[in-house]
Amino acid sequence: MKFQIEDVTVYFPYDNIYPEQYAYMVELKRALDAKGHCLLEMPTGTGKTIALLSLITSYTLSKPSNPVKLLYCTRTVHEMEKTLAELKLLHNYQLHHLGPSVRMLALGLSSRKNLCINPSVVSAENRDSVDAACRKLTASWVRAMAIENPNVRTCSFFDNYEKAASDAILPPGVYTLQDLRAFGKEKGWCPYFLARHMVQFANVVVYSYQYLLDPKVAGIISKEMQRESVVVFDEAHNIDNVCIEALSVSVRSQTLEGAMRNLNRMSQEIDRLKATDAGRLRAEYNRLVEGLAQRGNLPIGDTWFANPALPDDILKEAVPGNIRRAEHFLSVLRRLIQYFKGRLQTENVEKEGPVSFVASINTQVGIDQKMLRFCYDRLHSLMLTLEITDTDEFLHIQTICDLATLVGTYTRGFSIIIEPFDERMPHIPDPVLQLCCHDASLAIKPVFERFQSVVITSGTLSPIDLYPRLLNFNPVVSQSFTMSLTRDCICPMVLTRGSDQLPVSTKYDLRSDPGVEKNYGKLLLEMVSVVPDGIVCFFVSYSYMDGIVNSWHESGILKEIMQHKLVFIETQDVVETTLALDNYRRACDCGRGAVFFSVARGKVAEGIDFDRHYGRLVIMFGVPFQYTLSRILLARLEYLRETFQIKEGDFLTFDALRQAAQCVGRVIRSKADYGMMIFADKRYSRHDKRSKLPGWILSHLRDAHLNLSTDMAVHIAREFLRKMAQPYDKTGAMGKKTLLSQEDLQKTGNGIGEMLF
Amino acid sequence: MLRKETNGEERRLNRDEEDEEEEENDRGHDAWERTYADERSWEALQEDESGLLRPIDNKTLYHAQYRRRLRTATAARIQKGLIRYLYIVIDLSRAATETDYKPNRMVVVARQVEAFIREFFDQNPLSQIGLLTLKDGVAHCLTELGGSPESHIKALMGKLVCSGDASLQNGLDLVHSLLNQIPSYGHREVLMLYSALSTCDPGDIMETIQKCKSSKIRCSVIGLSAELYICKYLCLETGGSYSVSLDEPHLKELVLEHAPPPPAIAEFAISNLIKMGFPQRAAEGVISICSCHKEAKVGGGYTCPRCKARVCELPTECCICGLTLVSSPHLARSYHHLFPITPFDDVAVSSDPHKVPKNCFGCQQSLLAPGKRLLFLLYVIMIRDE
Repeated sequence: MKFQIEDVTVYFPYDNIYPEQYAYMVELKRALDAKGHCLLEMPTGTGKTIALLSLITSYTLSKPSNPVKLLYCTRTVHEMEKTLAELKLLHNYQLHHLGPSVRMLALGLSSRKNLCINPSVVSAENRDSVDAACRKLTASWVRAMAIENPNVRTCSFFDNYEKAASDAILPPGVYTLQDLRAFGKEKGWCPYFLARHMVQFANVVVYSYQYLLDPKVAGIISKEMQRESVVVFDEAHNIDNVCIEALSVSVRSQTLEGAMRNLNRMSQEIDRLKATDAGRLRAEYNRLVEGLAQRGNLPIGDTWFANPALPDDILKEAVPGNIRRAEHFLSVLRRLIQYFKGRLQTENVEKEGPVSFVASINTQVGIDQKMLRFCYDRLHSLMLTLEITDTDEFLHIQTICDLATLVGTYTRGFSIIIEPFDERMPHIPDPVLQLCCHDASLAIKPVFERFQSVVITSGTLSPIDLYPRLLNFNPVVSQSFTMSLTRDCICPMVLTRGSDQLPVSTKYDLRSDPGVEKNYGKLLLEMVSVVPDGIVCFFVSYSYMDGIVNSWHESGILKEIMQHKLVFIETQDVVETTLALDNYRRACDCGRGAVFFSVARGKVAEGIDFDRHYGRLVIMFGVPFQYTLSRILLARLEYLRETFQIKEGDFLTFDALRQAAQCVGRVIRSKADYGMMIFADKRYSRHDKRSKLPGWILSHLRDAHLNLSTDMAVHIAREFLRKMAQPYDKTGAMGKKTLLSQEDLQKTGNGIGEMLF
Repeated sequence: MLRKETNGEERRLNRDEEDEEEEENDRGHDAWERTYADERSWEALQEDESGLLRPIDNKTLYHAQYRRRLRTATAARIQKGLIRYLYIVIDLSRAATETDYKPNRMVVVARQVEAFIREFFDQNPLSQIGLLTLKDGVAHCLTELGGSPESHIKALMGKLVCSGDASLQNGLDLVHSLLNQIPSYGHREVLMLYSALSTCDPGDIMETIQKCKSSKIRCSVIGLSAELYICKYLCLETGGSYSVSLDEPHLKELVLEHAPPPPAIAEFAISNLIKMGFPQRAAEGVISICSCHKEAKVGGGYTCPRCKARVCELPTECCICGLTLVSSPHLARSYHHLFPITPFDDVAVSSDPHKVPKNCFGCQQSLLAPGKRLLFLLYVIMIRDE
């Protein structure tokens, strides 16, 4: 269908559109018109992605003189593929209606691990080793050597791609990663480098958050992007954490030992080079004297890492004299590592700011701030000169230089925390030195500045006014949409009391109370006997889950649960968890029924859907607050209070509730689906907690369901499940219209936007 | 009479069970608590626009009746299987002791099955029913396929005890082995009344479902509490219907929906000639040995036209020669499924009292009391059917 939104003709590949999708597009269009940033919250299962894609591409089509580029960021490769598949559908529709003139180029970009087609490279087990294996075959000096010596192995795909030179382009179309690999195989070109090259010319690029937010990567991939781009961060409820992680480094004693090994190897290399090819070292020295930026004038196969600091903060000057010579630089690094080693031997927890940390480095080992700042670039240059290709071996020294550069560059928003042991296991010494970033706005600032529109969207962005403060920007539109439903297919409940009317909570003082544990167990036991197929339970932490499962086991509750459903548990081991999930799904499929115990903030809570019969009920045991005694969190809270005037309590509640909303949101992925959500903690009934849940959950949370005991909840569950099992009318013929056709839109015109709100 | 007795027995039995349960569990629902936790009678009330209370459902009731009429109209001229071999599978697992239906699920199900069996033979005199129960993880055959409602009901009422888990797969396997033997002109069907929310199976149930699908067994399930994925899948694969009951009246409605014959599966609907006998009713006062009860009886009964054996009731299969015995009204009654009468037009009561006939044409009852109209129409349909 196609329809007008103000002056833009929108091409939408389906015959019907949900009213909230239409409203979403209207708001998005306004943000694009204003060339500003926006925050949009819309529940999952309402077709956010297609609404976004179809509006932005249609917007480009309607303004041919000033085309905008779409940079679409997803969290996982799976989401990337889904987005591109939707885009393909949309593109075919547009081609069908407008003819070949609207051809566009859209592609996904991912790491070598996902794009490589060279069988000997892609078989390596992790991302870093794939990268290193690729470099071994494609680095410029390797290829130079291969010309002289035919025994040196190179990658034929890369060679072909190089040979084709400017002819190596992708014809317009939509390419998923799969398509890129197929295309590369057909032509014999390397899909990874081809995609990297084509990103500059593409109309739509779909890639991961890191390509924009992590300065180490963004410097290489995204620096050529034009200002007239729309950046979309999908599923962005955790974007502040991504930003912070991009600028945080942690160093353990293993890292230091590894770095030492790296240094030894590098000094051997230098000695060897001195004996054989001293000219190369001298050339490097000269280059550094002249202050030539390393990036930019190197062959593309070699640009493999960029500065961890943000582009604006990098000094545009020559490398300081005392680390220009390779030996000197190595000795500086050696001293730095010695210093870190000394710091790690502490018995107490230490916390200090970057300024005093740098000062103490300066006094103790005589490395000043400027030298620290250049560590990363200098290392990079040295490794190129030494022609090191197995970069995965050198991760440790890179980490050290990372830290040095960051600590030398920033004075605010960071802190150094040294912990001699893990708080929870004080007997096992495990010293760790962490450089933590507290300010999410640092990493995302260049993105906001460089691009005209940034769209941050997710199913759970509530409270929507906190994100602009955390990320320090001014959205022109911030809007939360609800879901239009033909029937009340979600049933959130707040359970505050057990069947014995005693309150349940995971509050610190109540947490280990046997009465609470028993009541939680009874709740689950009652629920497994009335809910069919799959149930998902989220606990606040691994340790709490272990504890409560133990106590359920001892009191025999677990055994009773097992009579109704099988029990699966998420562990920290990915393989084990995957296996457990697999079997959980099988148990749901074959009718045996199953319960999955999982942890909020875990892998499962973030990325796995429990839609349809895989999750008819999700129980959130407790409020998933962060571990509030963690030094990092405390430091961040302090920073937030001082800089952004965000109260500790507010931030903690916000963070806990968005995690809870994420967890329970797993259960419903489309409008035809149905599911129940139980928030089992008395604290959820308080207004300050509850009001931070997303609007689409709140609108279904009836007042009568706010203060339930177990028996009441069981009764409600029974009734709800019976009601939902009845056949229903998908189009919503009775009164409420939830699917709009083209005529409906024309009839009401722009009135719909007002109709909804 | 018989029915009342058995019900009384059950109730006593149940009370015993409940008592035991209460002693075992420390749940301790007192009577007042039960009304609060389980019955919640206040939820059945709704307010109308002016704030007055009105009982729920009026509208949905009329709507349902209207829909049923429409459905019979659209279903006309569809080929239907008139000779049905139906197994009713009753779940007597632990879940059937739940008391969300009063007095408990098992009793309610038994009551509905009884009503269904009578209705079924009324509508499908040429068909046969068998009963299966699921409990303790195994399936038992309660009665073999047969055409006598009383014997089924008697067998069912005698075996009402619940325990253990239900196994869908074992049930289907048993049904499959039993239904595989029946002649090809008969329609194989299963109706499950499933209380449990899970199934405890020994093997891969998907294989069993495929087996049922390939032997053209139409499986329908009526759930008593919630939608279960595997049941939905089973019904979808085998072409049956899946429904979940809200309460007892709804359960009754759902069960009775299975009484009229379903549309025949096209590829399987080959016409076939079947040999049948139309026995004559024996004269009063004649003494003969009854072949079904194995004793001498006076008067009544029917005589098989082929082997001259005496049988007590029709329709049935002759115990001696295996001939299908029916009476012609039975055939006629089955026939109306193939050519249902068109639905009646809903006539609005006009303001002019002279134009509307005061009394029903068929039964001479007064039509003037509004609200009873629909009832009369249905009544008329029933009369004409017969």
